[in-house]
Amino acid sequence: MKKYLAALICGFGAGVLQIVPLVKSFSCCMILPLAASISLLLDQRATRNFGKIPMKKALLFGLFTGLFAALFGSVFELLITFITKNNDVIASFTDLQRIVQNLPLSEEIKKEVLNIFQSVREDILKNGFSILYTFSVILNNFIVNSIFGSVGGLVGAQIINSRLSNQSNGK
Amino acid sequence: MEWLTKIDEHFVFVLPFLQKTFSLVCHQEKNKLLFFDGAETLACARCTGIYLGLLISSVLVLFKLSKKKFHINILLIASVPMIVDVLLTSLNIYTYSKLIAFSTGLLLGSIGFFYLYAGLNNLILELKR
Repeated sequence: MKKYLAALICGFGAGVLQIVPLVKSFSCCMILPLAASISLLLDQRATRNFGKIPMKKALLFGLFTGLFAALFGSVFELLITFITKNNDVIASFTDLQRIVQNLPLSEEIKKEVLNIFQSVREDILKNGFSILYTFSVILNNFIVNSIFGSVGGLVGAQIINSRLSNQSNGK
Repeated sequence: MEWLTKIDEHFVFVLPFLQKTFSLVCHQEKNKLLFFDGAETLACARCTGIYLGLLISSVLVLFKLSKKKFHINILLIASVPMIVDVLLTSLNIYTYSKLIAFSTGLLLGSIGFFYLYAGLNNLILELKR
């Protein structure tokens, strides 16, 4: 666990940035790749090993950063939803209705989709919890964050390693 | 999304799921989304640019049209327009333009892919050893 402490710290940061209201509005596709790259830099400083980073290690660090971000992100999101009984699903429900109504679909399908999301919305408003919403949050967070984290780890290591090569070439 | 529902109406069931997926990696502010044929994108103009840039570069690499190896400074230079645009629009020095956001994202995405590609290549080489 200690080995991946840097990934844990950066994953926590990225998870918070993705979820917490207001801060979330600064969210961008670069947050997780940046967090994964920073975790590699933090690990270098912690272990005082400033040599080339093996790509396998970079991939693992990126993956763990993504997984920790997903873990913290999911917990925070579900907790905030449970306490406030409100979230972006409820906020965007009217938009969703508008989008679905504008799509060239049969009335039956439109009604079915809107019924599902109406039931999710009602569950959240009433209990602060919905099984479908919880499942979608967990699945989404773990898949997306692990992909973006792994990409960030690989690109970050590539950048750090080329900087090292430049320094050694300059000497 | 509309083109997906043209293939099969049932794709509409994944619309909220996709919206949630993209909300993890993009703020999805209404005034920053792109519109195509009356339908809006799920990511903002800048993120759409980044993803499209990645896609274009990956197609170029796939068909061996480009095997460029970029110096690290190129990535830094490619990220400067985006950082400057984010800073200047955040400080209200000029108003947000979807075209500028999209173009700066496209530039970074298309150059950034070559670093990911190099990283993947190095990873495969390492695993083969």
